[in-house]
Amino acid sequence: MNGLIEKFTQDFIVDDRWKFITKGLGVTLEVTALALVFGVIIGLIIGIIRCAHDQQNANERRGVKGAILNFLNLICQLYVTVIRGTPALVQLLIMYFIILVSAQSKVMVAVVTFSINSGAYVAEIFRGGIMSIDKGQMEAGRSLGLNYVQTMTYTIIPQAMKACLPALANELITLLKETSICGYIGLNELTRGGDIIRGTTFDALLPLFCVAIIYLVIVMLLSYLMSLIERRLRKSDNR
Amino acid sequence: MITVKDLHKYFDDNHVLRGINYEIEKGEKIVIIGASGSGKSTFLRCLNLLDIPTSGHIWVDGEEITDPKADVNQIRRKMGMVFQHFNLFNNLTIMDNITLAPVKLKIQSVEEAKENALALLDRVGLREKADAYPSQLSGGQKQRIAIVRSLAMNPEVMLFDEPTSALDPEMVGEVLQVMRELADSGMTMVVVTHEMGFAREVASKVVFVDEGIIKEENTPQEFFNTPKDPRLQEFLSKVL
Repeated sequence: MNGLIEKFTQDFIVDDRWKFITKGLGVTLEVTALALVFGVIIGLIIGIIRCAHDQQNANERRGVKGAILNFLNLICQLYVTVIRGTPALVQLLIMYFIILVSAQSKVMVAVVTFSINSGAYVAEIFRGGIMSIDKGQMEAGRSLGLNYVQTMTYTIIPQAMKACLPALANELITLLKETSICGYIGLNELTRGGDIIRGTTFDALLPLFCVAIIYLVIVMLLSYLMSLIERRLRKSDNR
Repeated sequence: MITVKDLHKYFDDNHVLRGINYEIEKGEKIVIIGASGSGKSTFLRCLNLLDIPTSGHIWVDGEEITDPKADVNQIRRKMGMVFQHFNLFNNLTIMDNITLAPVKLKIQSVEEAKENALALLDRVGLREKADAYPSQLSGGQKQRIAIVRSLAMNPEVMLFDEPTSALDPEMVGEVLQVMRELADSGMTMVVVTHEMGFAREVASKVVFVDEGIIKEENTPQEFFNTPKDPRLQEFLSKVL
């Protein structure tokens, strides 16, 4: 028991080493939150382009708009394929050592990488959500004289969002945990914070379990929040 | 009001409409009947371009909607449509379902639209459902709301695509009642239905669509009492 207290003091108290954990946690949350926001924006745009392309009728397909949509759709498909087809770690390293090699901030590199990475997954989540909405909803909107964008904005996307929410929550949880690879570019986030303590004190057990428990608690908190939001959104399907 | 000329529609290799010509006058109540797969619903859906005709021309109020340059959204405002499966917006309350299009298309202010909606809801006896969501309504109630939602745009013609086919039998009456009242008010109506009683009582003309063409068209009396087309005779002997 004394040994454990001794180790705990060494790991967290001496030299204020707990700050590796708290500062690391701050960085992890910052990267996750920013990447989530940009990822959702990218994903929404791409998801809508892909759906707009798929939902065109024969006449629209032939026009100029159709040609533009075709082209955009192709780019989106390429993006989703490449991002989903390569490991996030490789993307991070490419971003850090090649594309953003002159970037000042490692946080920025991480945010850019994870936004782009998450965007591809979110795009597919949104696309699935939009496609899952009964096509009668679109027909009803169009028959009233609303255009495609209006119908999407007021009826389809709100319903799709609700349908997507569990999958989006899942993506957020994945994103949070995946930022742990940022240690590879020397960004001091939560995992690396724990690892630095391990390297200094040569005690692996406490720092790594501490890090693991922090991730776990955040994920449980996120799951709880999501269930609250889902319950609120469900009020329109009261039966 | 609506003129249809040599309308053809293919779904891939399936030739669904094989040259339909028809003229609908203002105030007429056209009831279209036919076996499933005959093309009657497709014909109706072509009238407001929910299905795009492969070839042929349609004029509404003198404007050709099949012209590639036509402003389809503008023309659709004049044509209300009621669907078999209601298609109420599930994320919106009944009030918002009704006022969405008039408000967002800047035809009415929010207050005007709400007032108008309440008046329409009174007409179908559903005022107290204004704040409910579609999922809280019965099928018959949903369909009455769907009719009201279309009427809120003050359309010149109403299209009904099998409006009672998805309803429990005891709810068919209340929807047909609303449609009857609408017909009495002078609305131009095009109705695809299997309700022969409704066709007999309300229609100014009954149209039999079979194999993608109009096989017979007549006043309800003639249509049901002395059908000429052998396919129609066979059809009527099965459904009456």
